[in-house]
Amino acid sequence: MSESPRAKRIHAVKFALLVSVVCCLLITGASTGLSPLQQANKRLDRQKNILKAAGIITPDGTPSRIQIQALFQEKIETVAVDDAGNFMDPSQGQGLSLYLYREKKILKAYVIPIESRGLWGKIKGYIAFERDGKTVAGFTVYSHSETPGLGGEIEKAWFQKNFIGKKIYNAQNEFVSVSIAKGGIAALPETEQAHSVDGISGATLTGRYLTQGLKENLKQYESVSVKLRQAYQKKTVGNDMTTPPIKETN
Amino acid sequence: MTDLLSLFINSVFIGNILLSYFLGMCSFIAVSNNIETSVGLGFAVIFVLTITAPANWAIYHYLLAPGALSWAGLGHLDLSFLKYITFIAVIAAIVQAVEMIIDRYSPVLYSALGVFLPLIAVNCAILGTALFMVEREYTLMESIVFGAGSGTGWMLAIVAMATIKKKMRYADVPDGLDGFGITMIVGGLMAMAFMMFSGITL
Amino acid sequence: MSNGNLTLKETFFRGIWKENPVAYQVLGICSALAVTVQMKTAIVMGIALTLVTGASNLIISLLRKQIPPTIRIIVELTVIASLVIVIDQVLQAFLYDISKQLSVFVGLIITNCIVLGRAEAFALANPPLPSLLDGLGNGLGYSLVLVAVAVVRELLGSGKLMGIAVVPQVWLEAGYAHMGLMTLAPGAFFIIGLLVWLKNSLPGASHEQK
Repeated sequence: MSESPRAKRIHAVKFALLVSVVCCLLITGASTGLSPLQQANKRLDRQKNILKAAGIITPDGTPSRIQIQALFQEKIETVAVDDAGNFMDPSQGQGLSLYLYREKKILKAYVIPIESRGLWGKIKGYIAFERDGKTVAGFTVYSHSETPGLGGEIEKAWFQKNFIGKKIYNAQNEFVSVSIAKGGIAALPETEQAHSVDGISGATLTGRYLTQGLKENLKQYESVSVKLRQAYQKKTVGNDMTTPPIKETN
Repeated sequence: MTDLLSLFINSVFIGNILLSYFLGMCSFIAVSNNIETSVGLGFAVIFVLTITAPANWAIYHYLLAPGALSWAGLGHLDLSFLKYITFIAVIAAIVQAVEMIIDRYSPVLYSALGVFLPLIAVNCAILGTALFMVEREYTLMESIVFGAGSGTGWMLAIVAMATIKKKMRYADVPDGLDGFGITMIVGGLMAMAFMMFSGITL
Repeated sequence: MSNGNLTLKETFFRGIWKENPVAYQVLGICSALAVTVQMKTAIVMGIALTLVTGASNLIISLLRKQIPPTIRIIVELTVIASLVIVIDQVLQAFLYDISKQLSVFVGLIITNCIVLGRAEAFALANPPLPSLLDGLGNGLGYSLVLVAVAVVRELLGSGKLMGIAVVPQVWLEAGYAHMGLMTLAPGAFFIIGLLVWLKNSLPGASHEQK
């Protein structure tokens, strides 16, 4: 090729433009074409985690897409509540989102979304409570960036199952949240064992941040839990409840 | 402040970008034969990371992230799928610019770092840091600290490795393990040592 | 590099064993190790990398007479980065769980030295078909190492293969414990080191040039 330097330069610019345009089209095409599928996947992943937290599917279960959607549709109701714990109209603004798990119209559990700081990035997950408003029914994490093998263990079933049955209120009916202990909970005084779960060795900081995050998140939902607890004690969460007890105060 | 300090310490030791995420291995293995070169490359990595992390942060948050273009009236756009290609271009451009600037203004620095800069553009540690920063949703301040911390951790690892290799010249390493194999084993031992810092709390 | 006397078959297989990229060219180990805690992620990562290497080699080879030498590297990087983005989007759409676990490491294929290395060393000088095979061969060779490391790490670290428990319950009751070290970073370093040793000791493999 015996081109002049000028022609070469023009060729280089033309070539660069051409490559850019082709690559642009390719990736834009891929991204826009696939984005509905990706969004659907994200939604499905959240739904799966809500179902897991509520104990509807087992931690190791691998239900199909259709099963998840069907279960979610059948058993979970998505609602929003305001600061006082009352239901709100979705049109009146954001509110706190809450998921109610009902079996044959009876409230079984409710699921609260969790967003906490971690050692590296945000930890996102769900925590479910039984209808007494104080017993943890399940805990899951669907997104985190903790160190694999250390803090990353928070996404594992062995860690998550320890939350089940823990109470967020102490004997004096004060809010204490659930904490991740440093090491095993066997070393803690007996009164605290009911509110603590075994920590992960080598991930003290992850545990500490998650403890903090849980406390903050749960505090926001405190009014909801209080209502549920009162309703539960008054036995108004009867077997024929068609509406959740919180709705009565609306 | 303590949060930033803790992030720095964490990214230097516990989450060492080389020893726990395996980023920047290519140059780690190629360059760690010589202590002086490792120190030079280490500084170059710290330098480039501290600049590129915030630059990529700004580009991501003002151009690419979902809704980032709302200042231009294009809030519905989500260009985050372009992040790989943009980050690599930004890194390459910044490395090139830095090279030209220090060549022009600081011949001393250029003779120390100059040869390493082109190598760095394709160092996974740099792109990796940018991607981690996005995934972990850092703020601008955190991203600078994280960039500097990751660079420092990388340098610490490569200089330590170069020093160990120098000592090892007199060791009788089994034939097939010599060279690359033993480098990996030593890397593993170093990774174990660094993991002990995970007990640190600030 | 002149490859006039190599058959297509040799071009393909050479990358898988004899000149295996991870063990010999000391390339691209970067992103290889972080995803080897489980076989599933390692396999997907291997497939993704093989596809990218093959496709980028093919494209670069088709363009090799047109690419102006001045902007060669940047064109190669653009092609590779675009391919990686496409792969990442496809993974997010069809294998969401695995793409979540691979997280940033798919993106890091861009800076993987194997991809750029093969484009530079082979595709720029050879016709499309051999380039494609060379890319696929090298990608598969890399996947082989990745999966080998993952098998050891998953088996020893959590007693599973492909997520299915293979260590009998009786062993665990008899006091067998999983080797936690294997699930952590140092485990990967040790295994790669030992793997290289093993390969160097096997007959037929030429010793690494120091």
